[in-house]
Amino acid sequence: MTNPLLEIDQLSVSLQKRKQTLKAVDNLSLKIYSGEILGLVGESGAGKSMTGSAILGLIDPPLFISSGKIIFEGERIDQNTKNIRGSKISMIFQDPLVSLNPLRRIGDQLVETIITHFDVSKTQAFERAKSLLEEVGIDPSRINAYPHTFSGGMRQRVVIALALAPEPALIIADEPTTALDVSVQAQILDLLKKLAKERGTAIILITHDMGVIAETTDRVAVLYSGRLAEIGKTVDVLKDPKHPYTKGLVASTPRIDANSLLEKLFQIPGAMPDLDNIPEGCPFHPRCDFADAQCRKEQPPLFQNRSACWLSKD
Amino acid sequence: MSYVIANQLTRHYDLSDPWIIRQINRRPKNILTAVNHVSFSIEKGEAYALVGESGSGKSTIAKMVSGLLKPSAGSIHIDGHDLNGPILDGKATHNMRQRIQMVFQSPYASLNPRWKIGNIILEPIKSFRLIADEKQQHKRVAELLDQVGLSERDVSKYPHEFSGGQRQRISIARALASQPEIIICDEPTSALDVSVQAQVLNLLKDLQKEFSLTYLFISHDLAVISTMANKIGVLKDGKLVEEADSAELFANPKHEYTKMLLSAAPNIGVYVHSERKS
Amino acid sequence: MNRFMQSDFFYHFRNTPVAMISFAVFTCIILAAVFANIIAPYNPFDPASLNLMNGFTPPMQANDFTGEVFLMGTDDQGRDLFSTILYGLRISLFVGVMAVALAMVLGVLLGLIAGFLGGWFDVLIMRFADIQMTFPSILVAMLIYGVAKGVLPPDLRYEMSITVLIISIGLSEWVPFARTVRGSTLVEKEKEYIIAAKMIGLNKWQIMIRHILPNVLSPVLVIATITFALAIIAEATLSFLGVGVPTTKPSLGTLIRIGQDFLFSGEWWILLFPAITLLALALSINLFGDWLRDTLNPKLK
Repeated sequence: MTNPLLEIDQLSVSLQKRKQTLKAVDNLSLKIYSGEILGLVGESGAGKSMTGSAILGLIDPPLFISSGKIIFEGERIDQNTKNIRGSKISMIFQDPLVSLNPLRRIGDQLVETIITHFDVSKTQAFERAKSLLEEVGIDPSRINAYPHTFSGGMRQRVVIALALAPEPALIIADEPTTALDVSVQAQILDLLKKLAKERGTAIILITHDMGVIAETTDRVAVLYSGRLAEIGKTVDVLKDPKHPYTKGLVASTPRIDANSLLEKLFQIPGAMPDLDNIPEGCPFHPRCDFADAQCRKEQPPLFQNRSACWLSKD
Repeated sequence: MSYVIANQLTRHYDLSDPWIIRQINRRPKNILTAVNHVSFSIEKGEAYALVGESGSGKSTIAKMVSGLLKPSAGSIHIDGHDLNGPILDGKATHNMRQRIQMVFQSPYASLNPRWKIGNIILEPIKSFRLIADEKQQHKRVAELLDQVGLSERDVSKYPHEFSGGQRQRISIARALASQPEIIICDEPTSALDVSVQAQVLNLLKDLQKEFSLTYLFISHDLAVISTMANKIGVLKDGKLVEEADSAELFANPKHEYTKMLLSAAPNIGVYVHSERKS
Repeated sequence: MNRFMQSDFFYHFRNTPVAMISFAVFTCIILAAVFANIIAPYNPFDPASLNLMNGFTPPMQANDFTGEVFLMGTDDQGRDLFSTILYGLRISLFVGVMAVALAMVLGVLLGLIAGFLGGWFDVLIMRFADIQMTFPSILVAMLIYGVAKGVLPPDLRYEMSITVLIISIGLSEWVPFARTVRGSTLVEKEKEYIIAAKMIGLNKWQIMIRHILPNVLSPVLVIATITFALAIIAEATLSFLGVGVPTTKPSLGTLIRIGQDFLFSGEWWILLFPAITLLALALSINLFGDWLRDTLNPKLK
């Protein structure tokens, strides 16, 4: 078993609201290996974007990392991320419109990034930029075009090229396809899969869409109320979910199926609690059919490296 | 005769520069055809879905069917009445409005943030003069809230006190308040989380059965449409490229675009197959 | 009330000294003006109570002729400065409030119409606003004042003085309201709850007043606060220039004008006290308005 590229060790991100300290991410532990695509899935407020931000060192007050460590390539980075961010770990966000500077040609933005991270001449950087564009599926002759001349999907490809420019070991993609049309979405996800395979780049794919998880990721981590509910190989977690929340999520996701019109979707009662309302014990217990007294009192740890549920104890 | 008939619906947008600029730059007129001779029909009690990507014209069609936008060409007939016909006077148009209501995509922008939700739901009842007596009005609002899974105590609360899913329920209650026959659902769950989406979609299904509603469902999400609609029309660049019963469409897509959409849609079904759940 | 005390807004208020002090200052001044008839030792507007021999008495010193002592001294006509300031504040505040009210109602209405109805309404209203804004508002106020005075029959001029003053200041300050409301209206009218209102069959006016208006009012409060300070200063300026309130009922501006004449002959108090009052009033309103704008800004939440 190789060493993990990135390890998140008991990370907690807290929010100071007047007199209360609320936890947006609670005691989260994760490992990511080179060449794999790890999905971070959860509903709004589950803490997935917050985890991505913590890795990148983008947590600003009133939020702060209250405990835990983030270890990248053997070194601790949670206290000083400036050198790593943008070079060894890069990111892709949801909205390509705001990720690119509309006043600069895409070639210029790429060249600038390359020169910042590598000691090459401008001409060499230019050539590299062209090959990057080709790798993401953009015609290299468009290197001098402005972002607004590209469609949404093409722009996201440019953003991916920019993220690849520093030759990162890890890319954090936060809802990279949510704002895109379905057909384009499929192309971008295929591109990400190709990059992980060919370059060995690790990708953390943050999304709320179980379908995207199913089609793209190797492993998946399910988050609920800032805590890890379940983690494992995607095929295992989706086919045979162990945590009741994962079971509920999978069952309530609509699927394209001739039979689905006749059935009602499974629905998990209630809603994920607000940060200031997280119950004692397992945060999911008020909505869980299987909750017992222990679930209401004590937070379950991760059993068998798979599911944080007292019922998974055996 | 079908309940809703859209016949050769067309909508142009004139995006041209002002005349004088065109003369100076020698540019032709720039007309965008958002909807290009689209025809479809919906039977009473049916759930018809229009699926397409951005730029397909589905939202524009929704606006035309609801009467908010006049088509550049073509017509909409609801129960035999031409929505844009010249015969309609103010009162008749008002009544027509009552029969069609809409549920919108954004839970945040679809409710007036400064109004109590009791008043939001009451407004259509007052506007269409459905109930005159104040006590009866309050009773009706409580009834509607109950039907969508909220409580009577919520009448004096403001929208920001509710979650996204609850706000969509309030929107549905408002739509039901007019006692409509047709509800146009424009991406009603796109902004919601998966588990909340399931609740709202199930609610819509229940309401359709209970009140014999006719739905026009607009979405880009084939999986959601699969759950809700029995007939589907596929739109591409303003044209209706394929139309079929949903089972047929998924089993035997005919048009290239439909096939592409089906293969591209991220589908949890690659791992999870539905079991018959009663 | 309890909910307000526990709200975030009140929390910020308690934690910002500037906000609390400025609020306290202008509340004191307003209360002093409201209760002027109780607090003031003399009534400066009653010509019968004046004694010219009391003129030019320095503060807290016995008058050479009558032996009376005045807290802030007297002006050239023997009026107790302290009382005059209190009564003058009444006029200043009254004109300020009414002018702002006029500007607000006019500006909000025009902003709503321009934003919601668009088209030619928008063009006409906004271009007119642009033209008006190229002139300093004092100039606009003087222009309207002059025209109004010219139009009115001579016997009414005196009585209508204050009304004309209010109208001229009010009409010169409507534009910021209109522009802000128009901007917010443009944003709100695209939102789906407006579409829902159309689907319920409401007409344009019903939608504008019932649905859009409540949602575009929050910046209006801040603008009103700042415009209030501007209106008070505008009134003082106009009175200073001699085109404001009549001299028998002096406002702060009039007092400053009078005081200016006597500053270098040694009667410094006639200028100083009204000026400090005006400064305190305008500054506290401005500071509070600034704080209000920053606190209510949803982007900073």
